[in-house]
Amino acid sequence: MVIGSRLRASALGAVLILGASAAPAPAATGDLPDLGPNVTVGRLPSGGTVIVDPAQGAPVAAVELWYRAPSTGFGAKPLPAVARLAAQVVAASKPIVGDPLGKAVADAGGRLSITVYSDSVSISAVVPAAAAHAIVKTMTTAFFAPVVTDAGFAEAQRDVEQEALISNYDAETVVRDAVFGQLFTDGPQHYPPLGVPKDVSAIGLADVKAFATRAFRAQNATLVVSGAIDAGIAAAAVAGRPPQASEADPEAPAIGTLATAVEPVTKSFVQPSGGYGWVGPSILNTREATAMDFIADYLFRSDDARSDDGVVVKQVEQQQPDSLVIGQFITLHDPGVMFVAFEGQDEPGLRGLVDDGFALVRKPMEAHAFASALDAFKYHLLSDLQTPAEKADNFGWYSVEGAADYAPGASGEAGRYFQAASSLTPEFVAEVAEKYLGKPPVVVTLAPDESKGKAKS
Amino acid sequence: MKPALAFAVALTLGGSAATSAAVPAPQPRYPQAFATDLGVTQLIGETDADAPVSGVQIFVAAGLDRESASNNGVSALVAESILRTPVSTGDGPADTLPLRDAIESSGGSLTYTVDGRSVHYYLEGRSENLSALVGLFGKALAAPDFSPAALAVARKALLARVGEFEGNALSVGIQMFRRSYYTTGAGAPALGTAATLTRLSASDVTEFYRATYRRGAVSSSAVGRLAPQLGEALKTLAMGLGDGPVSAVVERARPIPGQAPRIIAHRDVSAPWVVVGFAAPAPNSRDFGAMLVLESLLSDAFERNSATTLGFLEKSVGAFYLYDSTPASLVVYVNGTQVDPTLALRELLVVSRTLSVKPLGATALHHFKTAAEGQFITDSVSLSDRSYLLGTFASQGLGSDSINAALSALEATTATDVQRVAKAYLQRYIVALVLPRQTDGN
Repeated sequence: MVIGSRLRASALGAVLILGASAAPAPAATGDLPDLGPNVTVGRLPSGGTVIVDPAQGAPVAAVELWYRAPSTGFGAKPLPAVARLAAQVVAASKPIVGDPLGKAVADAGGRLSITVYSDSVSISAVVPAAAAHAIVKTMTTAFFAPVVTDAGFAEAQRDVEQEALISNYDAETVVRDAVFGQLFTDGPQHYPPLGVPKDVSAIGLADVKAFATRAFRAQNATLVVSGAIDAGIAAAAVAGRPPQASEADPEAPAIGTLATAVEPVTKSFVQPSGGYGWVGPSILNTREATAMDFIADYLFRSDDARSDDGVVVKQVEQQQPDSLVIGQFITLHDPGVMFVAFEGQDEPGLRGLVDDGFALVRKPMEAHAFASALDAFKYHLLSDLQTPAEKADNFGWYSVEGAADYAPGASGEAGRYFQAASSLTPEFVAEVAEKYLGKPPVVVTLAPDESKGKAKS
Repeated sequence: MKPALAFAVALTLGGSAATSAAVPAPQPRYPQAFATDLGVTQLIGETDADAPVSGVQIFVAAGLDRESASNNGVSALVAESILRTPVSTGDGPADTLPLRDAIESSGGSLTYTVDGRSVHYYLEGRSENLSALVGLFGKALAAPDFSPAALAVARKALLARVGEFEGNALSVGIQMFRRSYYTTGAGAPALGTAATLTRLSASDVTEFYRATYRRGAVSSSAVGRLAPQLGEALKTLAMGLGDGPVSAVVERARPIPGQAPRIIAHRDVSAPWVVVGFAAPAPNSRDFGAMLVLESLLSDAFERNSATTLGFLEKSVGAFYLYDSTPASLVVYVNGTQVDPTLALRELLVVSRTLSVKPLGATALHHFKTAAEGQFITDSVSLSDRSYLLGTFASQGLGSDSINAALSALEATTATDVQRVAKAYLQRYIVALVLPRQTDGN
């Protein structure tokens, strides 16, 4: 599964879209998804979608804007990190009236984060509920008619350069980027969404303005508000600038070309690490996609807040306690991607534990063990829906990927996701594992480069 | 100090001179909590009808303050052993699993944390299933497996975590301060050290368990869709423990001397980290709200401007109000990878002094209170965090509706309060320096 919060927490940042010709962009004025009786879905004044998910509980709200937009920009020449930088510049720039979004969120004691995937951008504020109305207004004012200032650009460039630098020392990010770079020969999926610092410094103000103008339109947006708010909060969103004739619809998915043959890739890194990547089912194939989520949960579940680790994670903890393994199925429009990264001194040993785990799921599980694992899986799904940000992330991600009503949390346990989970059987899970994970994966190996010291290649 | 840092500080204090106050926002509130007397123990709960799962914290008065130098780590070793104690989930031998696995296979999760005043276990699961999970936990709690084999596994797991802790400069710095500040076990490492864990025997563990895991030492706090059966399950859990009182503990701290003691340690870190530790008021003190404001102010006042909230590695300066021990403390850290620690430390002390001699203006006070309130709320969202705060604040005198009581304390804070608390607590401090191994400490 791809639950946005988990993507965010693990710094995963990859979205891949193939076969976009078979999947037109959702129309800004088309049918609205049914996300359950407690969730309101509507149109923004100038087009685009607004999802409001009121809930009791902590007096907090998540306000998120999601856009379909390639991380490398819309031009023929890829500009890695331009989407990330543009979003940061808009959040940092002082609009004609009022405070910059970043300052407004900070003054409310909230948190603002921006996450860029290969073909989408998320701007997320978690704020006290009392500030939610004002933040919806400030966020939509900032992003539906973007103002880009020199000061905002300078500040944002410094911050995004640092973010890119830090990410280059994160094994998971480096392996993930390498996997996607090998699976796709072009398109935004081929490039790291955050780029490297020199990519960020090579982007000019004009690039940012052009990107922001096209990407950050109301017609291209999904606004999600979740938490201790009421349905009327949608009215706080501003209309933004009127669309030009060519801007009536949201952006179509960017198309990456799948590699016809995958080659192993070796890169230098500060410590021994590695990973795998496989192409998986489309988001529209909900039963198979849910089976892949189940497999990832069963093998690689890892959460510091809980103790319920997956089978492979437990093996790594017991046999190589100083090592780390991460695995996830990334649910995307078409195709999804199963991705694994591991880090530790005994890289071959880690690889063996991961291989053993995948071999395990390619055979039908014993009925009792499967039932327990499925119960645990459903509990994890529910537990990951306990904060407004987690719910908003889900609605935003699955909306952008074209299947909002498949989001875990939509229509509760009666929704499509939980129905798909309930339909899983040991045999079906094994079939799906064999179908997608029985093929040769992209193999990534990271190793220290003695001649170059600590730099990433 | 780097220009951006100095600018942020100047901006912050400059704001204090303004006098116009903004319109107050509606006061945020969590669902009102309730207390239920279960006879042998107490449950404090917050009903959240929209929560997809429910969670309960079970506090046992078996924290660091009950350890000594000779048995440091025993609280964690007991807890780790309890997680591994076999429990039966059915009729057959295959249905007997280590507690943690049994709870996972029943669709739940279990973690524990050792802090100054308690060890608290957090159980989470489907609301309709939480009582059954508490029942499983109660079985292990009543009859833990302290066999040599079980202890060896638990010890190995703890040793791995101790190693991780030692690699974290901030954790090391905070621990250095705590060790210097507290006179009791509250200043010892939460999980023990490699040396102390290795020394602990089965009899040490059993003795600690018998002395602390008593009926009167247990309390609980829960958040979610709470079924009536939960109270019964918690009552049964408490009844499974030995009767009789748990001995009283008085936690003590050394007075912080005026000459600002400096402690130095060397670790495998890339840049120096500085932790400045102050004494701080307990949650039931009239100074609590003001200290929350100061925590927020000191955490953000020195930061460079950034539209997005900076992550831990990107922050130059941060602050934590540690109210898990009595007396409480406040630590402010300086991240040497981001800022010159000497200059940042000097700036921090100037700000602390300024706050003690000059009250904040109305606008600045409103700004800092709003930010502090927002940070408190956005830090207290998950069921785990909410149930923990509910229990720990209630146990420190904030009443059953304790999270809302903390918010009320924050809202009632005046400029005079902030100045008084800055004067009372921020003028004496201990400096802990964590330096790269190759660096001279002077």
